[in-house]
Amino acid sequence: MTTTRERDLARPPLWRDVRVLRVLGQVGAVLVVFLIFRWLVGNLLTNLSRLGISTSFDFLFGPTNFQIPYASEFNPRAEVWQATLVGVKNTFLAGFFGIILASVVGLIVGVSRLSENWLVSRIATVYVEFFRNIPPLVVIIFFGAAVFTNGPFPLLRESWELNWFGTDNAFLLINNDRWGVPGFAGTGELGLFWLIVGIGVVVGAVVWRWRTKAFDATGQPHHRVLWFLGVVVAFFVVGYLATGQPFEMSWPALSENRRRIDGGFEVNWGFMSVTIALGLYTASHIGEILRGSILAVHTGQSEAANALALTAFQRYRFVVLPQAMRIALPPTINQYLNLVKNTSLGTAVGFADLTAFTKTSIGNGRPAFQSILIMMAIYLSFSLVISLILNILNRRLQLVTR
Amino acid sequence: MKSIKLLAVFTALMLVFAACTSDDSGDATTTEADGGGDGGTDTTEGDDVDLTQTDTLADVRAAGQIVCGVNDGLPGFGVVDADGNYDGFDVDFCRVVAAGVLGDADAVEYRPLTAEARFTALQAGEIDLLIRNTTWTATRDGQEGANFLFTTFYDGQGMMVPASTGFTTLEDLADANICVLSGTTTELNLTSVFNARGIPFNPVVFEDNSQLRPAYEEGQCEGWTSDASQLAAFKSAIEGEGGDDQFIMAEIISKEPLGPVVADGDTNWAQAVEWSVMATVQAWEFGLDSSNIGSYSGDNPNILNFVGSDNFDPGLGLAPDFAVQVVEQVGNYKEIFDRHIPAIGLQLEGSPNNIWTEGGLMYVPPYR
Repeated sequence: MTTTRERDLARPPLWRDVRVLRVLGQVGAVLVVFLIFRWLVGNLLTNLSRLGISTSFDFLFGPTNFQIPYASEFNPRAEVWQATLVGVKNTFLAGFFGIILASVVGLIVGVSRLSENWLVSRIATVYVEFFRNIPPLVVIIFFGAAVFTNGPFPLLRESWELNWFGTDNAFLLINNDRWGVPGFAGTGELGLFWLIVGIGVVVGAVVWRWRTKAFDATGQPHHRVLWFLGVVVAFFVVGYLATGQPFEMSWPALSENRRRIDGGFEVNWGFMSVTIALGLYTASHIGEILRGSILAVHTGQSEAANALALTAFQRYRFVVLPQAMRIALPPTINQYLNLVKNTSLGTAVGFADLTAFTKTSIGNGRPAFQSILIMMAIYLSFSLVISLILNILNRRLQLVTR
Repeated sequence: MKSIKLLAVFTALMLVFAACTSDDSGDATTTEADGGGDGGTDTTEGDDVDLTQTDTLADVRAAGQIVCGVNDGLPGFGVVDADGNYDGFDVDFCRVVAAGVLGDADAVEYRPLTAEARFTALQAGEIDLLIRNTTWTATRDGQEGANFLFTTFYDGQGMMVPASTGFTTLEDLADANICVLSGTTTELNLTSVFNARGIPFNPVVFEDNSQLRPAYEEGQCEGWTSDASQLAAFKSAIEGEGGDDQFIMAEIISKEPLGPVVADGDTNWAQAVEWSVMATVQAWEFGLDSSNIGSYSGDNPNILNFVGSDNFDPGLGLAPDFAVQVVEQVGNYKEIFDRHIPAIGLQLEGSPNNIWTEGGLMYVPPYR
């Protein structure tokens, strides 16, 4: 009898000890994953070597040998990794501007959905239902084909030129292939200029903190955005004059043979199709997220704002939206990530993004496996960096609860 | 913090993988050096990987059909009709191989492939045979694990422009947008020829011709470059459907030998495919076609061998009467050519695709 009681009190045997079993379970799971991974990779490498296909990454340092669309500054003799960077740049730009467009339109749509104006809320509803029920690829192809290729715009050589008021300088060149907008052309030492502007931004940040502290201490209006912008603009102007006006306005103009746009910035139809299509598509999702988040803010908050005689704008800007943002941010991060990943659909409209580049490169004899591995790594880094930045923001926005 | 950890884990995995890769590629090269091109070079590399010699010929016979990678959107070479049937010059050569190897030209499963996916499909064993207007190049032979066989069509890259532009040379296209398919040798030729001549240009790249054609017809591209046979096919298609007149420049800027491709490392299968394909040219040379090959009653010993009348078997793993099956069910080379190619505006006479006795390049080793 005593022995049984002692056994009850002692720790159970190892194979029944839940703590041991948990650890073993985890070790087992990791082992299984590792073995599967090793089996897959081993399989692949054996098969590749049976076919005599190289598994090295040396191809990255060979010449690219093909021209990248709408990248006339790219020399086809450059190495493959440099060409990959052009693809990465295009993916980044499409993702960046797409996110800005999606956020702005999404905010407008989300707020409009809740508008008391019947027409405004109905238009927003139709917008959301239209875009979110169409696959993004179809939206992209629609923009590429219906707006540009077959659209209302003239050919490049017959571009519409919209002149800056009272001058001969075009501020917009419109056609179905690439649009020209004014840009800046460097004429002197730009490094020093950017250094001065950089210092300006740092000083601006310091001023921002000073105004915040002053506001916290005294309650005076802080106007920190104005202060910050004022400081940066001041440094910008001083830097521009001090370094001897290192750049000038560059206006877009058709070249002599009317096949190029010289000067200014140039955006091609693939980029515009992808950015606008994905921006509008994602905006429909972000709009819905925002609407839900605004509705999730307790009605008492709005009532309290009304009781303080805030205007409708003030109620949104200072009471409802800041709280809605907290709820909206995590799902919005997902939408941003989706948008960046969806830029890979741009191959359908000839947009030279990372995916298009990789596919072309594989078709031209670069090893498929390594190329795709690199592409995956780049997309993964993009996504992780975006989540990282937004998660930091998210943590700062969350309510501090005690 | 979570993303930092994920990033770290991922980097670690990549490092592990990179280590694996460099190890194994080292192994692979030594194995190959030892093996010296002989058939049985396989040595087991990983302890947990079963490596057996592939025998596609036996696999194909067991399956009762061949899986053939083709183009499904190239008039004359490979198209799908409204009923889902494949038709075209390349498609007929899939049928030739099926007739030669299996005795049944219809025992083919077609797998439509994009230019970019074709070699991966071949490497993965997803298809037994690739006949998809694929140009034979050294890099593809060496790095894609591909084994290029008898060239069925000698092609060259050309440039098409709307006739109304009056352009006649590549120099007329300086700075112009030029439509081209991605992942093709065409894209490389375009870049190298234009660069060599110092002509700036902007490629507008599409994945398939159904996207490329509207961009060209709407004038977004001023030129369309591709194999001359493809351009001829689309020229007749555009003009036939009421589009603008098109002009194909006289200048041919590259050599594009097109033919069947199999995966490296299976000599028996490669031989079976190659001799099935070459039988169509041999039959043509002998003056045999689908109407008379079955009833040959002469006494030319070479032809008697060819039609397998004395059960002559050179040991290629093919039935003695394979040539009869090929020609009766599909036709000789000229019949296949005439069925598809003149319709897209190209003639046999005077082209490299004519038989060698008429000054062309179609020359096959003797069947004896």
